[in-house]
Amino acid sequence: MTVNGTDQTRDKLALRSRLSDIAQLPPWIEVLASSYAIPVDVQFAMNLCLEEVVSNIIRHGYGTEADRSVIVRFTMPREGYFVFVVDDEAPRFNPLSAPELPNLNARQEIRVGGQGIRLLRRFADALEYEPMPTGNRLRMGFSTTGSAVRTY
Amino acid sequence: MEELTGDITKVILDGRLDIEGAAAVDLQMNVIAGNRKAVLVDLQKVSYLGSMGLRALVAPARAIKSRGGKMVLFSPNEMVEKVLKCSGIDTLIPVHFDLQSALAALQ
Repeated sequence: MTVNGTDQTRDKLALRSRLSDIAQLPPWIEVLASSYAIPVDVQFAMNLCLEEVVSNIIRHGYGTEADRSVIVRFTMPREGYFVFVVDDEAPRFNPLSAPELPNLNARQEIRVGGQGIRLLRRFADALEYEPMPTGNRLRMGFSTTGSAVRTY
Repeated sequence: MEELTGDITKVILDGRLDIEGAAAVDLQMNVIAGNRKAVLVDLQKVSYLGSMGLRALVAPARAIKSRGGKMVLFSPNEMVEKVLKCSGIDTLIPVHFDLQSALAALQ
């Protein structure tokens, strides 16, 4: 995904590494959806992906460290296309290179762990990981047309 | 929760099955899974389903299955259904949109 040119930061949410802070995401997304006329299905996808990414950072990236930073920035680089940039200070981890569990089938034991990566790849229209000097940056793009190029 | 004929228990979930929502229903779902063998989970009023919500559905389904019972999901909205399909959960916990077929699957 390339977000060029008129990319302008519209909003920002600063979270601490506490699972309870994830509750701030839905109302924030709702405000953005209202301000930028984001369709309900795109809003759902944003919620799903952000919840997944932020909870993974808090649970696995920071582990027991309860007061570290997770910054989420929202931009609308062009009409009908929305980008969230998630920055953390956790040890390097590229979720896009993490293995995705094979599709569950009736012969397997029921399990869920690892489905988060699959959901992220299915519901975001574009994903881009960038290692940062002090942590990780993940960009997630969402399109109202669903036709954005997928980049992992 | 409603008790239906044929020893079927209907569980109506309402709202968001996110981290908070999943935590709120986990205990009750596990209690139901521990002593019921035919469970219909009504998802009509569930507006959101995340991966922790999936866990809240799969764990009781596994418990019920291990006791020789069955759990089915009923009438998720379009996006919730997409989450169920993307994760493959729908192949393990049947999803029905017609109440009679859902009940028949539990007989």
